[in-house]
Amino acid sequence: MKILHPAQLNNFIERLAKAWEVRLPVLLPDGTRVIGSPGDGPPALHGGAVMGKPTSAFFPHHGTLFTSDGGKLEGPQNPDLPLFVLGFTPRDLACLRFIDRFFADGLCDDVYFRRRNNALVAGLSGLCGPGGIMIPPAGGGCDLEFFCDGSCWLVIPYSDGGREVSAGLSDPALPTSVELFRQAALSQPDEQEELLRRASELLRADRVPDHFWAEIGDRCIACTGCNLACPTCTCFGVQDWRSAQKTERSRMWDSCQLDGFMREASGHNPLGSEALRSRRRIHHKLAADPEKWGEISCFLCGRCDAVCPTGIGMVAVAREMVARFG
Amino acid sequence: MTDSPCHSSLYLPFECEIVSVTDLTPGEKLFRVRRKDGAPLGHLPGQFVQLSLLGYGEAPISVASSPTRDGLFELGVRRAGTLTGALHRMNAGDTIGIRGPFGRPFDLPRLRGQDLVLISGGCGLAPMRSLIQYCEDRPDEFGTIAILYGAKNRANTLFKEDLAAWQSSARFACSLTVDNSSDDQCYSGNVGLITALIPPLAFVPEKTIAVIVGPPPMYRAVIDELKKLRLPAGRIVLSLERQMRCGVGKCGHCTIEHLYCCQDGPVFWLNEIEHLRGAV
Repeated sequence: MKILHPAQLNNFIERLAKAWEVRLPVLLPDGTRVIGSPGDGPPALHGGAVMGKPTSAFFPHHGTLFTSDGGKLEGPQNPDLPLFVLGFTPRDLACLRFIDRFFADGLCDDVYFRRRNNALVAGLSGLCGPGGIMIPPAGGGCDLEFFCDGSCWLVIPYSDGGREVSAGLSDPALPTSVELFRQAALSQPDEQEELLRRASELLRADRVPDHFWAEIGDRCIACTGCNLACPTCTCFGVQDWRSAQKTERSRMWDSCQLDGFMREASGHNPLGSEALRSRRRIHHKLAADPEKWGEISCFLCGRCDAVCPTGIGMVAVAREMVARFG
Repeated sequence: MTDSPCHSSLYLPFECEIVSVTDLTPGEKLFRVRRKDGAPLGHLPGQFVQLSLLGYGEAPISVASSPTRDGLFELGVRRAGTLTGALHRMNAGDTIGIRGPFGRPFDLPRLRGQDLVLISGGCGLAPMRSLIQYCEDRPDEFGTIAILYGAKNRANTLFKEDLAAWQSSARFACSLTVDNSSDDQCYSGNVGLITALIPPLAFVPEKTIAVIVGPPPMYRAVIDELKKLRLPAGRIVLSLERQMRCGVGKCGHCTIEHLYCCQDGPVFWLNEIEHLRGAV
């Protein structure tokens, strides 16, 4: 374990940026806190999970699949430098682990792994949550973790890469461990995890009637904010962009809340109503993914509940489902 | 730090040349295609490819020919949008992109030795044609084969020459119907839904497998008729149409609950999916 004083943070990032393409929580001039490049604004490690999905570092909103210049096809370029991404809370790290599995399974998605391979992922925990509340440490699942002890960052490496980038930092004056914080968090029952588990059981037992989804669908305004903020939402559309010089085929995040998401050329639409689309959004995370992957694919990062203008994010819907049918 | 092995470029199409273009109906054409590197496509009946036109994007298209035929493959394509519209303007000698073949094919090991009832409607005859040709080329591997096909009308009937050949072949019992013949005074064949062709079939459920490929509304009605003849769900095969944007199980557009139609399907046994919401 190493220690990083807040006054050393900018120097540490500057040194990192010589060998890595650094992404970290920064404050934009308009006050928005995002995971961005060091030049986008001052570091803003405090404040908990950043609202944009952190997995976008590897699965960006818009990503090139290939370009054609005079008929010659070229795949996307590898990043000039490997990525160093700081800002994953423990729940975000669970999301990243899930989509790593998703993109590696079956036919391996080389476009995703061009950015993901060789990247260093850094977790963020400790007394840096919203209002300074404690985010329990992840204790692994990343290359290194930045744990705020209230005055300094304890930097805990978990991989060779993590040890390498933190090697130049000082050792703490006293032997320190964050394991007690992790154990303390684990010993507390998580009410929201229990809620999702119960909602998942209801869905898998087919105990949620169609009229419930019609009610949820009536409240959906199809803004797609839930999907765009969710770190485990990986759906995308594919499109070509033509210019005089070249054609680019790219993929862009898509949303299952849009009417055209599944509409086929024939006009047949398996998700042809807001009720069906709302059910799909929740069912996919709580019932379909457990069937396919053996685990619920919502890790309670809270983003969809925070961004939904009509209050039908994952936890809100699960809570209503369990209250009415549980 | 992760190091997942990706052995190939998942989204890069390979080049193919259109060898010939044939009109099937006023809105559908058959494209005979070969890989420019001379390699066979390497498909099995029931699989599809992602057809790629630069500047227009990609679309999933079923392979309409059997791998038992020559090194070329055929795609029957309905003009339905900008990409297929652009394809319909192409000619022999033009270049297209292809990715694939993708998806789960018809379960040939389980079909072998069985009597087959091959039921298709509209464009569904394209993927079914691949299986029919396969059966035609390997006649000793299968029992009796009944082909049922329904189209909107005679003008919209696909593969007319093939159908005529199958009707006159001793290998097949081939029945056709059209939904409507009111504009066609010369038509003297069956008129009505394809479900009307099923009750006269005399098959032994224990040694028969039915394969259905057609427009979504056709499935439930055909399945009901087959079940009346005591054919169990474990002996009914479906090939499902979904909007497959990537073909490789990543884009999420073709999910049926936990299944990805492009990778887990498009061919399913009915008992694998009949309990899934929205499957049929």
